[in-house]
Amino acid sequence: MDEQKDSHDLVRLKVHGVHPDSNTDTQIVILRDEANAEILPIWVGSAEGNAIKYALEGHVPPRPMSHDLIRSCADHLNIKMTSAVITDVKQNTYYAAIHLTSHGVERTIDSRPSDAIALALRTNSPIYVSQEVLRQRGGGNLDAWLERLEAKNLGKHEV
Amino acid sequence: MIAQMKVRGLMFDPYNNAYIVILRDEEHSETMLPIWVGKSEASAISFALEGVAAPRPMTHDLMKSVLDIVDARVLSVVVTDLKDNTYYAKIHLMGEDSEYSIDSRPSDAIALALRANAPIFAQEEVLRKQASEELDQWLENLKPEDFGKLDS
Repeated sequence: MDEQKDSHDLVRLKVHGVHPDSNTDTQIVILRDEANAEILPIWVGSAEGNAIKYALEGHVPPRPMSHDLIRSCADHLNIKMTSAVITDVKQNTYYAAIHLTSHGVERTIDSRPSDAIALALRTNSPIYVSQEVLRQRGGGNLDAWLERLEAKNLGKHEV
Repeated sequence: MIAQMKVRGLMFDPYNNAYIVILRDEEHSETMLPIWVGKSEASAISFALEGVAAPRPMTHDLMKSVLDIVDARVLSVVVTDLKDNTYYAKIHLMGEDSEYSIDSRPSDAIALALRANAPIFAQEEVLRKQASEELDQWLENLKPEDFGKLDS
């Protein structure tokens, strides 16, 4: 997946929150654009959800977690992450790419969005999504859904 | 001194709702090192043990891809210490022209070593400590009635 990154086609997202999905052993990562006009929920495993939540809350675990280790390997090897891009969605599976530079050369690695986001938060790298993925995300009133989700989890899962 | 270890297998520990990675000393096969790990770490190790390719790259596959960008090699991973029931490990990497040793949890180190075909070692000091901590735990769990059995 080394398609040219067209900045006009990409929307920058921020991680708005991570919520447990009460029906399954998964967590929902809520991504929003800067104008809060778009919502992109992505379901991730509970370990991946925690990896994102820790970084979001600035929680430093006593031992390095997996994504801290990736970051520390990259730091030692002079590899710099430049961005995470959610590139595609097929049959409810999201695809992402991690963009890195090493010696001034750009490299792209195929990744699950959860890893890409967990790593982006640890390296202060921007997170983008393609317009196409937002179009395919499906309609429905996500604002109302998010409000209900946040109300339901309010105070229940504060770390 | 350092001992080369092989991953002997994974077990589920229902009391702690966790998994145990069993490492075995290659030379002295009676020496085992059990390391408790979480569910996702256990599955990362189990995928690699069974040679199963996940449909999407898992976290440690990604870790390996990052190393591959600069042709960095995992020389070895070493379980270096045991303090208060927590194991410590180091990953030894060979970059372009220098070696690095990176602090890691043993679970990440093992999951990466299996993907990079790198040897796994344990400090013999850790094997000794583990044996004595295990003995301590065993002694702590003894109930008065357990002692009584000796007389009968």
